[in-house]
Amino acid sequence: MIKLKGITKTYYRGKVETPVLLGIDLHVRPGEFLAIMGPSGSGKSTLLHILGLLDRPTGGSYRLDGSEVSDLSDDELARLRNDKLGFVFQAFHLLPKSTALDNVLLPFTYAGHFPEDARERARRALGRVGLEHRLHHRPGEMSGGECQRVAIARALVNDPEVIFADEPTGNLDQRSSLEIISILQGLHAEGRTIVLVTHDTAVGCMCRRLMRVVYGNVDSDEAVAEPTQAIEQLQTLKEAAK
Amino acid sequence: MSLAWRLLKAAVSSLWAFRSYAALMMIGLIIGIASLTVIHQIGQGAQQAVSSRMASMGFGADAFYISSGGGRLGVRRGMKRAVTLTPQDAASISRVDGVAHVVPHKNVARTQVTAGGNNTNTRVRGATPGWAAARKWPLLQGRFVSLTDIRQSARVAVLGTTVVRELFGEANPVGRRLRIGRTPFIVVGVLESKGSSGWRDRDDIILVPLSTATKRLSRDDKLSGMRVTMTDATRLEEVKAEVTSVLRENHSLLPGVPDDFLIITPDELMKLITRQSRSLVAMLTFVSAVSLFVSGVVIMNIMLVAVSERAYEIGVRRAVGARRRDILYQILMESLMVAAAGGVCGLLMGLLLSYLATWLLAIPTAFSPSGFLWALGFSAGVGLLFGVAPAKKAAGLHPVEALR
Ligand SMILES: Nc1ncnc2c1ncn2[C@@H]1O[C@H](COP(=O)(O)OP(=O)(O)O)[C@@H](O)[C@H]1O
Ligand SMILES: [Mg+2]
Repeated sequence: MIKLKGITKTYYRGKVETPVLLGIDLHVRPGEFLAIMGPSGSGKSTLLHILGLLDRPTGGSYRLDGSEVSDLSDDELARLRNDKLGFVFQAFHLLPKSTALDNVLLPFTYAGHFPEDARERARRALGRVGLEHRLHHRPGEMSGGECQRVAIARALVNDPEVIFADEPTGNLDQRSSLEIISILQGLHAEGRTIVLVTHDTAVGCMCRRLMRVVYGNVDSDEAVAEPTQAIEQLQTLKEAAK
Repeated sequence: MSLAWRLLKAAVSSLWAFRSYAALMMIGLIIGIASLTVIHQIGQGAQQAVSSRMASMGFGADAFYISSGGGRLGVRRGMKRAVTLTPQDAASISRVDGVAHVVPHKNVARTQVTAGGNNTNTRVRGATPGWAAARKWPLLQGRFVSLTDIRQSARVAVLGTTVVRELFGEANPVGRRLRIGRTPFIVVGVLESKGSSGWRDRDDIILVPLSTATKRLSRDDKLSGMRVTMTDATRLEEVKAEVTSVLRENHSLLPGVPDDFLIITPDELMKLITRQSRSLVAMLTFVSAVSLFVSGVVIMNIMLVAVSERAYEIGVRRAVGARRRDILYQILMESLMVAAAGGVCGLLMGLLLSYLATWLLAIPTAFSPSGFLWALGFSAGVGLLFGVAPAKKAAGLHPVEALR
């Protein structure tokens, strides 16, 4: 599905060059739940932006579903983002003045045509993340965990091939983090492909495959033997609270 | 359809979200468009007032007017014009081939008029029996100046309704006495009201027989002007030329000496007034165009600031699949809508102001289709033109940078 070969990224600021990715090889197969881990500043976000077609690599090859992405125009990349990819960001990135429902409807605005069942699908996506009772709330009227669930619903609504999540639990407390991860685990169980960036080992251990990036290189890449189940942790947490 | 609707809705809702900005952007535009509208409404009103006044003066295509004193139409000083026309001139002109009637009149300086305990200051004009008919000015009561009055230089007066109200109140004045200066007169008739024509109350007038005006109210028998009706409107140029040569001969003007009278055709007068009001409107349109340009620059700058503030929103939209041009159209749509909203508000305010101008200040105004189009065109133009830079800036943002 996704095949990176020798991906490099160098930022140029005037005369200052910052090499961030030094040659990443990565193969993501359908149905995988991949965590990209590494210390802060190691280039995880940069890599995820490239994977998510938000940014272009300086060098290397990126094949998505067999076709080379670097040959595509900006408009074609936008089309692919809309069609095949979903994003979840650390800071939620919802439109603050729009309701949950409108936020989830946003991808359809740029889908070329607005499907007749869009509202129905948006409602279903919000239902999938347990927010059927928050359709008309604005981000300011919801907790961080709820906002992130709206963001997941938005990533989900267009039925994407891959969902990218950049530190999705970075701004959340432990309990909300577990809720978010358990939703992602559920989506993975339904067969969705998820690529998640985190610097939190606990989160990394809840995925199925863990790739470590250090100084712009792949340091290790292995399957997680026994992924922690977020839902169980949540139970333990709830019992401890009683 | 549904997509366009959503884009429109998105523009409206983000304008609503940024309503304090939007209001700021609209203020200049509203003022500019309102003044543009008022200007055009006043221009239109002035033209209508002039044409209706000319029509009520009975100035059809078959008549023209000869005024004492030379010069050119539009550049004469109205105050100290030489009074050069004489009764003999009127007689000679009435003999010119193609002339049907000559209706001369003489203006007496504004005079104090008294009746009983009341007094007022009004225009007094000497006229002949044909005067009222030529102006299609019917009588309300009594009769007009007759030939007998002219022959006898009778001290009879026909009053406009304003004078009647000032001197006699609601009472019927026919048969009552009044004094024009020191000379006693008897009221024989009252003219119907013509209303004001914007700058002048046309019912504020007293008519006396022409001969009475020349013999009893002033020291000379000169005429202020005369209205000439032709038998055939198509012979205007020919009749004008003949009248000119008759008058020059009567006044013994040598070749090279300019005319000491002025022939005014309704057509020329209309053109002059139209031209004057047009150039005034054009000048003021230019002034409001400048203010609209300034408001456009303000709009542009506010939108540029708003775009940096909204970089994050733009990043989100790009992340979920908006193309550069989707963002471009969105921002353009927003600036267009701000401008359109400002334009409509300005237009309504302009209509309201011109209504108030008519109502409170008696300035004639009328709906001006050209003003309407200018207002809409200007605001749409400002919105598009000054939306381009912010829209380009927004569309040019890199999605990752925007999201940071
Ligand atoms: N636009 C940029 N210009 C220059 N340097 C950048 C830019 N974006 C990121 N970097 C640098 O690249 C490195 C990796 O950043 P990032 O991918 O955000 O790391 P991570 O997400 O792993 O913390 C950091 O050192 C950061 O300073
Ligand atoms: Mg990061």
